[in-house]
Amino acid sequence: MKINQRELYGAVILELNGKLTGGPEAETFRNLFKNLMDEGKKNIIVNLKKVDWINSTGLGILIAGYTHVRKGGGDLVLCNVGDRIDSILYVTKLNLLFQAFESEEKAAEHFKQSAS
Amino acid sequence: MADRRERMELVIPSDFRYLGAVDAAVQDLARELSCAQRWINDFSAALIEACSNAIEHGNKLSTDKTVRVVVKLNGRQIVARVHDQGAGFEYKKYLSDTTPPDPLSERGRGILIMRAFTDQVSYSVDPGGGLCLELVKGCDADETSSQDEN
Repeated sequence: MKINQRELYGAVILELNGKLTGGPEAETFRNLFKNLMDEGKKNIIVNLKKVDWINSTGLGILIAGYTHVRKGGGDLVLCNVGDRIDSILYVTKLNLLFQAFESEEKAAEHFKQSAS
Repeated sequence: MADRRERMELVIPSDFRYLGAVDAAVQDLARELSCAQRWINDFSAALIEACSNAIEHGNKLSTDKTVRVVVKLNGRQIVARVHDQGAGFEYKKYLSDTTPPDPLSERGRGILIMRAFTDQVSYSVDPGGGLCLELVKGCDADETSSQDEN
């Protein structure tokens, strides 16, 4: 799993590339979210455009990130969710937990509007 | 449409990195059924989950253990068996638990995903040790690729 990090309208975009399946990735993500919170970066957009699929362990990684960010007073949203991941979010009802946007721009605008 | 009878077997290490190989293999085989891509994706999601369970809960991520995956096409039905080499776990309790996990729980969605995407999920104990998880999914006429808008 590769993670490309950038910012848009003050929100941090984490563009994931690969499969989100757990293992050592869980620790990588835990550290990443901790560092972002320590830096005061609380608005997180996870771009799943280059993630073909996810398993329940990968869902756990996203939930851990969501919980960490929310406890820090921020929010974590998703964008570019493909059909395969969308189906899994739907059957696990996690579509009710994660806000999902069709693009990075729309997700960033969400944070921009929330701040104004 | 003619019934297809094909069989695929692969053995992967107890490492999540190899789940992609399972997905690729089952995608190829399932296309033989001429089912809609969404149907294939759903079955693959269930199989990936079964293999994830075998790696984590069955083999406890042990690098000297493997997961054997056998997938058969049987007419308009696909059957997958996932064999681990672990000491077993309380699969009856696992299967009987139908309580949805707390939305913020990081675990407990494996069986939910497998059940949602297949017709039947069952466990058995392998004679040589380890557990075998079986997934069964039928491809109905309204799920064939001719109906797939994608």
